[in-house]
Amino acid sequence: MNILLIIIVTAIFQYFGPWWTVVLAPFLILLWRPATTSFRSFATGFLAIALLWLAYGLYLHVRSEGAMSNRIAEIFSLPNGILLLAVTSLVGGLLGGFAALSGYFTKKAF
Amino acid sequence: MKFVKAILSILVVAGLVFVLNRSWGPVPALGSFLSPFTGFWQNGENPVPDNSQVSLKVDGLTDEVIVRFDDTGVPHIFAKNDYDLFFAQGYITAKDRLWQMELQVRAASGRLSEILGPATLPLDQKSRRLGMGYGAEANLKLGMSDKRSKTALTGYSAGVNAYIDQLAPKDLPVEYKLLGYRPEVWKPINTMYMLEQMTLMLAGRSNDLSISNVLKKYGQEVVNQLFPDYPMLQESPIIPAGTKWNFPTLPIPVKNPLSSSDSPVAQIFNSKYSLANNQVLAPAEPKPEGIGSNNWAVGAEKSITGYPILANDPHLELTIPSIWYQVQLHTPEMNVYGVSLPGIPSVIIGFNQNVAWGVTNVDADVFDLYKIKFKDSTHAQYWHENQWKATRKREELIYVKGKTEPVKENVFYTHHGPVSDTDQPDGDVPNLAIKWIGHEPGNSFLTFYELNKAKNYDDYRKALTYYVGPAQNFIFADNGKNIAITVNGKLPLKYKDQGKFLLDGTDPMDDWQGWIPAEQNPFVKNPTRGFVSSANQSSTDPTYPYYINWLFAPSERGIRINERLTAMTKANADSLRMLQNDNFSVMARTILPKLLSVLRASALSPTQKAAEITLSGWNYQNNPESIPAAIFETWMPLLQESIWNDEFNSDSVVMRYPSRDRTMYMILNQPNEKWFDNVKTPQKETMPDVVLNSFKASLDSLQKWHGKMSPEWQWSNVKGTEIRHLSRSLKPFNAPLLKTGGGAGIVNAITKRNGPSWRMVVELGPAPKAYGIYPGGQSGNPGSPYYMNLLKKWENGELNELIFLSSPDQQHSRMTSSGITFKKN
Repeated sequence: MNILLIIIVTAIFQYFGPWWTVVLAPFLILLWRPATTSFRSFATGFLAIALLWLAYGLYLHVRSEGAMSNRIAEIFSLPNGILLLAVTSLVGGLLGGFAALSGYFTKKAF
Repeated sequence: MKFVKAILSILVVAGLVFVLNRSWGPVPALGSFLSPFTGFWQNGENPVPDNSQVSLKVDGLTDEVIVRFDDTGVPHIFAKNDYDLFFAQGYITAKDRLWQMELQVRAASGRLSEILGPATLPLDQKSRRLGMGYGAEANLKLGMSDKRSKTALTGYSAGVNAYIDQLAPKDLPVEYKLLGYRPEVWKPINTMYMLEQMTLMLAGRSNDLSISNVLKKYGQEVVNQLFPDYPMLQESPIIPAGTKWNFPTLPIPVKNPLSSSDSPVAQIFNSKYSLANNQVLAPAEPKPEGIGSNNWAVGAEKSITGYPILANDPHLELTIPSIWYQVQLHTPEMNVYGVSLPGIPSVIIGFNQNVAWGVTNVDADVFDLYKIKFKDSTHAQYWHENQWKATRKREELIYVKGKTEPVKENVFYTHHGPVSDTDQPDGDVPNLAIKWIGHEPGNSFLTFYELNKAKNYDDYRKALTYYVGPAQNFIFADNGKNIAITVNGKLPLKYKDQGKFLLDGTDPMDDWQGWIPAEQNPFVKNPTRGFVSSANQSSTDPTYPYYINWLFAPSERGIRINERLTAMTKANADSLRMLQNDNFSVMARTILPKLLSVLRASALSPTQKAAEITLSGWNYQNNPESIPAAIFETWMPLLQESIWNDEFNSDSVVMRYPSRDRTMYMILNQPNEKWFDNVKTPQKETMPDVVLNSFKASLDSLQKWHGKMSPEWQWSNVKGTEIRHLSRSLKPFNAPLLKTGGGAGIVNAITKRNGPSWRMVVELGPAPKAYGIYPGGQSGNPGSPYYMNLLKKWENGELNELIFLSSPDQQHSRMTSSGITFKKN
């Protein structure tokens, strides 16, 4: 449930705002509805953002037949755009994971 | 503990955001770059063209503008007046090419380092020291004082800015995302910088220093022998030889008889002091062969259509995105199609209902160096006309990314121009002033604006009078069945060979003595031979009364074009397209039989014999698959080097080498000249020795890079034509390796990096039919289906039919339904 909430809210934030709004929803939603453990909190945020970035990135990659993503991958010495998509999701996941973890710990602190 | 965990985890998040929100060296700020919502992912476009009709409300327009796109992405713009037209041209060009436009302006104005850091500082310093800004500002003043150019400049700027204003960060071209900056407001002066950049590229260098060094070392007689003012072996001038000059000639200036003939500058002023840092231009790179162009037009009597046919292919460095951008511009007073230069309103090379025109570069001597005598180290005064005159100081501030303080440059201007070059081998104090056509105020834009609207020959001749530089051979054809070519531009009035060597900045007789009257610039209309043409060769035969230059591009392309056009009858567009793709080597025809006769008289190894046999059977065509073409093309530079290197290659001073024409003349007619001997060896080499040794060296070189003689040696492979992204460093944005024939001195002038940047053929007539192609595509976005969609056809030597619509609602099978309608707010 939290995962879905984070995905929807983040998509809205990111569509209108700058990239760093990606950390807001995982933090606030885990602050509001903390998971049972710190690990589950991290996983919730990680999965939500990683999935969101993966899905949207994959859509853009497939739609353009990798015209841009495959070239950028080459600039970063990666073999193809799909691997770059994995890196992108990982970065997004880490951001979401740590943001969710912060929400969870902050809730616990008060 | 709870608090510690909370604070620590928040710090981790803040740290991540901080790290990902800034660039690290060449790595862009990864947060926004990787996010699919803002990053590069957004720049990948759907390969299926969107057939969307967009309606945009914009401020500043006076009426509605309709833009339609054809299936190659070319915009067809229909406006009711000039301002709206150029507004839309600016907007649409920026939509496809914004990053390119801005980068080129930054290069021209010396502001690359603001975005790229210290690595580009020398480039920026060069632009500043050359006075690019000085020239652009002078031109802007004139441009804004004429209603026509002012409307175009302000309309175009407003259009570019309207596009920039609506750009969300996610829509920025990917290069901005990679480099981490945003586009600036577009100003009218940017167009002037673009024109300066063209002047720099085509007329921004001189041989003065390198030929003066030859004079110093070998004396006047050797210069006269080896560096003649007209090709000795073969030439086919642009204005047909024998054309009469029916005008009252101005008095030709003379050289000051008191100045010494050995050293063009009698009093050499040696600067013994040093300024804070190195202030002089880096030695200029010679213009690579392959920067040049072809154009020609055949008259009605030679064409099958009964009307003239015109062709043009300007040769420039090939880049992606292309230097050109196709566009159709339509108002009630004008309907023109052709290629524009992103950043400059109007069409530069193209056609309309009644006329077609094209350009090639004139290698006029419009860049001269004057030796300056300063009074003292302040550079405040210089000696001229027997008195001390004041210099003007122009302070240039160059901001560098990552540095708070700008780099400051003081450039001193004499009446000649900025003092920023030196003839001292390791001097860092400038003592040479640059007199350059790029500093001459003018409104060359009006030439293109008026050509866009031209209806006949008289309009063409009138349009040319506005033009300053870089001088171009403007070729022309119209529906009245006229063909013409004009060597056009403001050409300085000089004494013979003035500016072949360094000039004396103290002597007013060495100043430019005014201008050749515009109507006396060489031109020819409807010559009896039935065609006009140019390929950067000598403008005229030696009977033309004025001095334009002592050296032009080599004659081979012009010779070949003129031979084929002479023989051509019943021409159509395809005949001219085939000529654009002509791979015949006039050079090989001229010199190879002689070289082969030398080889046959020598002892050869089996490999060398095999190469000799291959060459003997060659038809002189530089086709992509040809192995003999690869051998010959590898051999020729080595042959020239082995003749001249020992005398003209020096670490301390730059010396010009004798031309290819002069070298071939010597091989054919003066085999006993002392220059064949390598002065650095004890034995005495003869012409056959040099030919044989360079032949062996060229085979060794080919073996080293491509293995034993095999299809690996085919010409396209050895040449390795590559078209790089404009950044020159983002390799994944380059075009794939190309298989091309031709070469330097070939009509199909594709070298490794230069070549036909636009090929156009126009059949004049009641309904003009035109064809064209450039290597690349309309879009500058590597993620767009229009990024390289024209490349394959260009590589194959094919042309696209250019869709010339007569009204905004005209149906055409190749028009897409996508378009933009601009409405006034």
